[in-house]
Amino acid sequence: MSWAWFHKLGSPKWFFSWSKSWPLPVFCFGCFCLVIGLAWGLAFAPADYQQGNSFRIIYIHVPVAMLAQSCYLALGVSGFVFLVWQMKMAPIFIKAMAPIGAIMALIALVSGAIWGKPTWGTWWVWDARLTSVLVLFFLYMGIIALQNSLEDQVLANKAAAVISVVGLINLPIIKYSVVLLETLHQGPTFTLTKKPEMPAEMWLPLLFSVIGLYCFVAGVVLWRMQSEILIREHRSSWVKQEVMEHGL
Amino acid sequence: MTYSSFLVSEFLVLWRRKQDVFNALLFFIIVVALFPIGINSSPDFLAPAAAGIVWCAAVLAILMAVESMFKEDYRDGSLEQLVVSGLSLPLLILLKVVAQWLAVVLPLLVMMPLLSEMLYLPRSGFRVLIMTLLIGTPSLFFIGVIGAALTVSIKQGAMLVMLLILPFYLPVIIFSTLAIKAAQAGLPYSGLLAMLLAMSLMSLVISPFMTAIAVKASVN
Repeated sequence: MSWAWFHKLGSPKWFFSWSKSWPLPVFCFGCFCLVIGLAWGLAFAPADYQQGNSFRIIYIHVPVAMLAQSCYLALGVSGFVFLVWQMKMAPIFIKAMAPIGAIMALIALVSGAIWGKPTWGTWWVWDARLTSVLVLFFLYMGIIALQNSLEDQVLANKAAAVISVVGLINLPIIKYSVVLLETLHQGPTFTLTKKPEMPAEMWLPLLFSVIGLYCFVAGVVLWRMQSEILIREHRSSWVKQEVMEHGL
Repeated sequence: MTYSSFLVSEFLVLWRRKQDVFNALLFFIIVVALFPIGINSSPDFLAPAAAGIVWCAAVLAILMAVESMFKEDYRDGSLEQLVVSGLSLPLLILLKVVAQWLAVVLPLLVMMPLLSEMLYLPRSGFRVLIMTLLIGTPSLFFIGVIGAALTVSIKQGAMLVMLLILPFYLPVIIFSTLAIKAAQAGLPYSGLLAMLLAMSLMSLVISPFMTAIAVKASVN
């Protein structure tokens, strides 16, 4: 396998021209899947025999919660890539990804609370999963705050990478520790190895909305990375040429 | 400069700036005193809550102490000297953390019998409280020092360090207070202590290198 693509990640110029045509189709595909998944899930899927219609929030809650964790994994990996190989694209990716992860964690918390009220009878419990998503949200906010308060670009890059890697190492420990506190949340809805227990007309829309949200976020992150590249490289000649030719 | 001369100078600096260490300890006592005053001063509430109160106060006091660890060195340029000294930077940071830990945690342990009386902590929990403080606090120092090194160039960095580092302290608080509660209930607690020790050892391995990266980036 050739590793040339990996070394090219050191060049924002290459990434910019390579990724130019990607965000729009990925974003549109994501929106398409999301609309299908949500419309199917919210309007047409059968109601749950125990929870009635309130279960339908999983079509928002589950994809968002999955994204919140995946985003942090991606942050940690790119932080590691930056610390080891000094790839220039890694800090740009971290900067583009962190706020989106924070928003996903926040939506997961809010949608979980809305679902918890009719089902558990309370907006919030100090349960393992809720607490760990709350901590995840704090970790995201920490990264964002650190990046915003460091003025020196080189230092901000390093700092964000260091704290993402430390967070990635700590996340399993945090998860394990809060599991020791009493747990009320139900088990995972989707696992890769087992056949889902829900009927197909219930989990298919969920699959659609999960895939849709992943693509949606990928598109948004690519756009954010492109604009971050333009901001960081605004002095270089290829950016000037790019803006002269195509406008902003 | 050698490693031993560095360690001696660190102790000397800590001794000559006694006030900083005192401030951390006073802060610790005041935070502990807030709980009986602010919530409930009856033994019924304090006895089961004592371990948690002590640990929350200790976490805050330690974070305050760690946060300013590099500040003075950064301002007078001695942090730069550490980077160019030719000695291993992670090892120097490790020594510095050890000196700081001894200066803050040992007085804290000395005060503990008094505080545990004030909070009506049962005898069964006291020994475990001391053990959790002994083997849990190193990881607090090692994790906190990463945040201190990252924010050393910011003038008002204390709040940022709190925001950045406190989430990482949650497992330590959880394991410690669970161990003390288990001891009070007469249940086995050695597994929880082992987890604390594991976290301290892991942060001992990872943190000096991460901190060295952060220090180098901050100094340049």
